[in-house]
Amino acid sequence: MPTGQRGSSAAFGASGEPRTSLVLPPLPVLPDLRELLPRGGLSRGSVLAVAEFGLLCLALAAGASADGAWCGIAGIPEAGVLAAAGLGLDAERTLLVPEPGPGWAQVVASLLDGCELVLLRPPARPPAQVRRRLEATLRRGRGVLLVAGDWPGAQLRMRVAAQRWTGLGDGHGRLRACCAEVVTDGRGEAAVTRSRWLWLPAEDGGVAVADPADIPFGLPGDRPGAVPALRPGAVPALRPGAVPALRPGAVPALRAVSG
Amino acid sequence: MVVTCPELTAGEPGPRAARLLDRMVATVTGFCPEVAVVEPGTCAFAARGPARYFGGETALAAKIIAAVADLGVPARAGVADGLFAALLAARCADPVLLVPAGETPGFLAAQPVRVLACQDQPGQGQPGRDQPGRDLAALLNRLGLATLGDFAALPARDVASRFGDAGERAHRLARGLDSRPPAMRPPLADLSVAREFDPPEPRAEPVVFAAKALAERLHAGLAARGLTCVRVQVLATWADGQQSSRWWRHDGLLSAAGVADRVRWQLDGRSAPSAGERASERAGERAGERAGDHAGDHAGEHASGGITALRLVPDQVIRAAGQQLALWGEAVVTDRVAHAAMRVQAMLGHEAVLRPVLGGGRNVHDQVTAIPFGEKAEPGLAADRPWPGRVIGPAPGLVFPAGRAAEVTDDAGRPVTVSGRCAVSAAPARLAVPGEPPRRVTGWAGPWPLSERWWDAAAARRRARFQLATDDGRAWLAVVQDGRWLVEAAY
Repeated sequence: MPTGQRGSSAAFGASGEPRTSLVLPPLPVLPDLRELLPRGGLSRGSVLAVAEFGLLCLALAAGASADGAWCGIAGIPEAGVLAAAGLGLDAERTLLVPEPGPGWAQVVASLLDGCELVLLRPPARPPAQVRRRLEATLRRGRGVLLVAGDWPGAQLRMRVAAQRWTGLGDGHGRLRACCAEVVTDGRGEAAVTRSRWLWLPAEDGGVAVADPADIPFGLPGDRPGAVPALRPGAVPALRPGAVPALRPGAVPALRAVSG
Repeated sequence: MVVTCPELTAGEPGPRAARLLDRMVATVTGFCPEVAVVEPGTCAFAARGPARYFGGETALAAKIIAAVADLGVPARAGVADGLFAALLAARCADPVLLVPAGETPGFLAAQPVRVLACQDQPGQGQPGRDQPGRDLAALLNRLGLATLGDFAALPARDVASRFGDAGERAHRLARGLDSRPPAMRPPLADLSVAREFDPPEPRAEPVVFAAKALAERLHAGLAARGLTCVRVQVLATWADGQQSSRWWRHDGLLSAAGVADRVRWQLDGRSAPSAGERASERAGERAGERAGDHAGDHAGEHASGGITALRLVPDQVIRAAGQQLALWGEAVVTDRVAHAAMRVQAMLGHEAVLRPVLGGGRNVHDQVTAIPFGEKAEPGLAADRPWPGRVIGPAPGLVFPAGRAAEVTDDAGRPVTVSGRCAVSAAPARLAVPGEPPRRVTGWAGPWPLSERWWDAAAARRRARFQLATDDGRAWLAVVQDGRWLVEAAY
């Protein structure tokens, strides 16, 4: 994987700001999330904002944790560690600070000294001054700050644009897997919007790329309008097994848009 | 040998009695350093050594009784093989009863079984107290066993199977065997170290510097006795009377600099959370002193008028037996991570930084146990059991620690209920969680009944679980308990 990332960053015409973080390889992520990230990983010293706390945050942390990084989770008392472990997070290398309190910025700065990745949900909309101080701390170190919520200075933003669970019927069945469209955009080299359909989680609890043929968004009574990125005409021809994430903004997999 | 003061053993010790107790123990300690206090007013020690020194057991007992009598308390002494027999001997003594060596079983055999009650904990006779000895004595009486000799003649195996653990223990006592030798406690030396600051020290650095020297003294004192401590308590006092006390794990692993680091974190942590308000309070008075540092990191120290005393107290002192680190199996906590975690603990408290441990259990909450950083990580419930009734399938990404109250209604807007026979009143159509817009239910499954710990009235729970999928693409784990809906987790 470290061989691919230089190439991909060059391909996107990267390097707006020369930084020490370019020297260190980015933190690895799960293989199926790589194509969503401009460098195939989490650039050290950067902030990645995910719109809402959920499995996507845990999946982003899981890759680094499985690779040996320590991971701190601050301000998220409801973080489902079991689900995260299913995605690959190593619970033994995880620190939880469920209630960082009003001094959360200092807590996160301390955590960043020890952990390569800190997943944070700030208690409120963080003041710009606090944010900038934390970003400066981050750039000095080699960690990654993963924010669940809004962070105006984030280099990269991710969100789940649409998702649907499979397995539940009307009074029968059980939850089996969730198909989610994950969209990335951001500043600089990440300015290109990327999107990808993933099983998050797949039936085995992990992450997998969703085969367009399997995406459960064709059920009757469905509202494809729930997918904000959907533009008629942007839907490419369906080839089973095609990788749907390379065309920015496109939603390749809606088989039954009309249905 | 057992020395007992009947006046002091009776009833709750008042302030005067408590003082006398202390002086009595001190008096006995004057004759023999290793004294175990059995209960208030009664203490025991191994008599062989001191008896040889003082010229025989009778002479020693007479000396002790005379010395205790000087306090104004009559005392009795009993000598026998074993603590139980010595206690009985002291009770029957007038004022000294010496059971010669080897004759203890004979002495015990003549005792009535009701003496077994005296092995109950002090505070006997209070209702609600557990009194295995007294119950057993009454039972033996009813069975026609009048003396300990009769009881001791029974085969040990039969006693164990009929009377259980308490009976087995009593049987050993009746045969003149002591299950354990008296636990001796060496006289407690004060191993703590302290330093006072006069005038009060407003800055943290000199205090931390002094802490390093203090820690060296503490370690030297412990090492001289071959001891180490599990935890060290750092106690700081400010000029305005405020105190900060915190325990830090030590395990004999910390260097003096490590202890000093923890003192620094504790002082920083105390000033950090409330720095803003304090800084604004005192801004007028102290602004000139540290104009450059208005970030507030050290404002708290100023606000309390400086530190007047610092004290390090070793806690849970144990014999130093060296350290053996795990070869594998445990994730190695690097110094960097440990420093970061402990710095956060200094700011927020020991329980604020947790490490999750995966375990078993039927509920999503039970499957992860959070252990404060630095403590031994063991799951609350074993992971390798089958746990029938747990929710299978992918684990939820959000587990609400206490559950969130919710309302689930059917198409007509009536609340969905589950009967005692687990019949659902209608298909759930809407899920409303307070603070969020209501969601339409697009799929559901359940109810999955779960009746837990029915044998324990305090912990028993009967619940019915549902999985709900809603129109925004999310899925929920909801339970009905006592007619109320709770959302336990979101997927």
